[in-house]
Amino acid sequence: MDALDGWWDDYFWGSVVVAEVFVVALILTILFGLIGAAAKLSGNRAAKAIASGYTVVFRGTPEILVLLLIYFGSAITLTAIAQIFDPEIKFVDLPPFWAGSFAIALIVGSYATETFRGAFLGVAPGQVEAARALGLSKLQTFVHVRIPAMWRLALPPFGNHMLSLIKDTALIAIIGLEETLFVAAQAIGTTNKPFTMYIVVGAIYLGFSTIITLAVMALEKYANRHLEIAR
Amino acid sequence: MDSSNPVDIIHLENVNKFFGTFQALKNINLTVRKGERVVVCGPSGSCKSTLIRCINRLEEHNSGTITVNGHELTDDVKNIDAVRREVGMVFQDFNLFPHMTVVKNLMLAPKLVRKASRSEAYETAMRYLERVKIPEQADKYPSQLSGGQQQRVAIARALCMNPMVMLFDEPTSALDPEMIAEVLDVMTDLAREGMTMICVTHEMGFARSVADNVVFMDEGEIVEMNPPREFFDNPKSERTRLFLSQVLSY
Amino acid sequence: MSFDMALILDSIPKMLMGIGLTLQLLFLSAALGLALAIILLLMRISGRWYLAAPTMAYIYIFRGTPILVQIFIIYYGLPQLEFVRDSIFWPILREPFGCAILALTLNTAAYVSEILRGGVLGVDRGLKEAGAALGLRAPHRFIYITTPIAIRLALPAYSNDVISLMKSTALASTITLLDMTGIARTIVAETYAPYEIFISLMAIYLILTWMIQRSFGWVEKRMSRHVREEV
Ligand SMILES: Nc1ncnc2c1ncn2[C@@H]1O[C@H](COP(=O)(O)OP(=O)(O)O)[C@@H](O)[C@H]1O
Ligand SMILES: [Mg+2]
Repeated sequence: MDALDGWWDDYFWGSVVVAEVFVVALILTILFGLIGAAAKLSGNRAAKAIASGYTVVFRGTPEILVLLLIYFGSAITLTAIAQIFDPEIKFVDLPPFWAGSFAIALIVGSYATETFRGAFLGVAPGQVEAARALGLSKLQTFVHVRIPAMWRLALPPFGNHMLSLIKDTALIAIIGLEETLFVAAQAIGTTNKPFTMYIVVGAIYLGFSTIITLAVMALEKYANRHLEIAR
Repeated sequence: MDSSNPVDIIHLENVNKFFGTFQALKNINLTVRKGERVVVCGPSGSCKSTLIRCINRLEEHNSGTITVNGHELTDDVKNIDAVRREVGMVFQDFNLFPHMTVVKNLMLAPKLVRKASRSEAYETAMRYLERVKIPEQADKYPSQLSGGQQQRVAIARALCMNPMVMLFDEPTSALDPEMIAEVLDVMTDLAREGMTMICVTHEMGFARSVADNVVFMDEGEIVEMNPPREFFDNPKSERTRLFLSQVLSY
Repeated sequence: MSFDMALILDSIPKMLMGIGLTLQLLFLSAALGLALAIILLLMRISGRWYLAAPTMAYIYIFRGTPILVQIFIIYYGLPQLEFVRDSIFWPILREPFGCAILALTLNTAAYVSEILRGGVLGVDRGLKEAGAALGLRAPHRFIYITTPIAIRLALPAYSNDVISLMKSTALASTITLLDMTGIARTIVAETYAPYEIFISLMAIYLILTWMIQRSFGWVEKRMSRHVREEV
């Protein structure tokens, strides 16, 4: 354990990076998921086809490939553009933080697309009809009936998506994001204690997963509070 | 008072049953003789199912004694096995094994429990399928049959074990009206042949024509037990009268 | 920016040289993982706390941490421990292939055992009672009623997990293995053509995903003859 002396603050800042990536990627995931679901549910053929292509590709290929493609792809594109202005420039990349957040959000967003789509379709038509019959406008029905029913349905699978997101942040170390796995690699360089250093990373991620799981459980309890009396 | 008698097949004495703190069965006493047909009725939630499920130990009673054909039901697995071999049960929602064809549903228990050979089990199965008048459905899967046909298969499946007693738990409640008769016909035939039966049902016509005794349960108690004539024409208790007025006014 | 077709045509055969390794990783860890998952499941539902509790801890840890971290702990971390170096497993654990198989197996087993448990819990209580009423003892009920129905219930989720596992095999490239992804990364390092290489490799993985889905679809169809309507 002495080996860890002097590394705790690095792990702490690495964890902060994990949390930051998570928050950014979570917002993007919800965005991609909602756009994807809207496209799939729309009557527009082209939108449907693009959304289907999106979910097929990003759910069917390794996460690491998507990450490498986005990071190195954006880097050569940016470098090419930069060289138009200044031929001296050798290399421009998107910071790993942004490339990585974007990549994992694209991946998890493809799963979220299906979740949101399913939740939208899962709302009992009778509820919507009842609201319309009571004289609520389309928008009122959407806000007061559809959305509350939807997020109740989407929450359990979306909780799993959040766990995927937090775990996928570890991949971003591969392109040089200075998160906990990266910290461990540095620490191993000087202490030569790989087991200790990586176990700490595992423990940190387990902590994050636990927090997310508990938060989702609390949210689910809140979302389903109307069912409690019936028990 | 000597309570057991050689012709008694089922004997319940001071049976109590709790679900947590909720007392489901309250001091139940019931005797069923060989060949006797008992119909149990009562409002929903009156613990009719719980009562008959205690008889083949799908539920455990907490106190009192339950004896089936001389075997007292305790934690002893041997006794439970012995009882279950002699008691057949038909459920409200059929509970046919969905992944097996009809004939496989019928052959499973004879092969595993009675150690019957494949051909014996098959012959028995086909014989009972004929008795419930659907031998032609033998190779179909349950989901391909109508509700009435499925329930007849379930009855045949129980009969394949050659039970001494049959328990029915609202066998027609999940059926569309036009299919109720075909199931009641099979049950009536069975009763005519002398099968000992305990049948939870709200089919009062069936009770009137088939039952030797009708039991009325309410809130976990046996309120009244009488032959059908007496039961229907001259109910003793106010609760029975109220229940009958509700059921018969349909 | 142009797509270098010649490079793609040149690289695909090279990457396909790694497909054998990718498939070995997939099939070996899928088979071992399934076996371990069944053991975990039986321990979990044994009703004995001293079997169930360690299983729950195992599942919690392996599902709560990134697979990449698990791979690093096993490949880089374990050699730090003397008893590992002295054990009879050392010949396996010193090789990246053995480490990759071990990590993938341990990881997938945690997920699969939960999937199987979902299947077992999904079996209608009434069916088990019907078995009991017919006089079948618990082991017979488990073998002839619970298991076949649970398998059918678990199959769709299981097929998704096999696809996840296939995607995770790409992480073997992070511990020096030259599976398809490993080869692709070396080609990109030489040619600096991430779009051409990574996109064509994604297409290859998509075909694998499609084949896995088709195979499971076929098995599911065969197994669900009983729910098909009148022929
Ligand atoms: N396994 C159980 N756990 C707790 N309560 C139960 C259980 N089974 C039945 N009950 C309760 O026992 C009462 C009687 O149920 P049941 O025997 O099914 O009634 P009936 O068949 O007359 O409608 C109900 O209030 C029911 O909620
Ligand atoms: Mg009932």
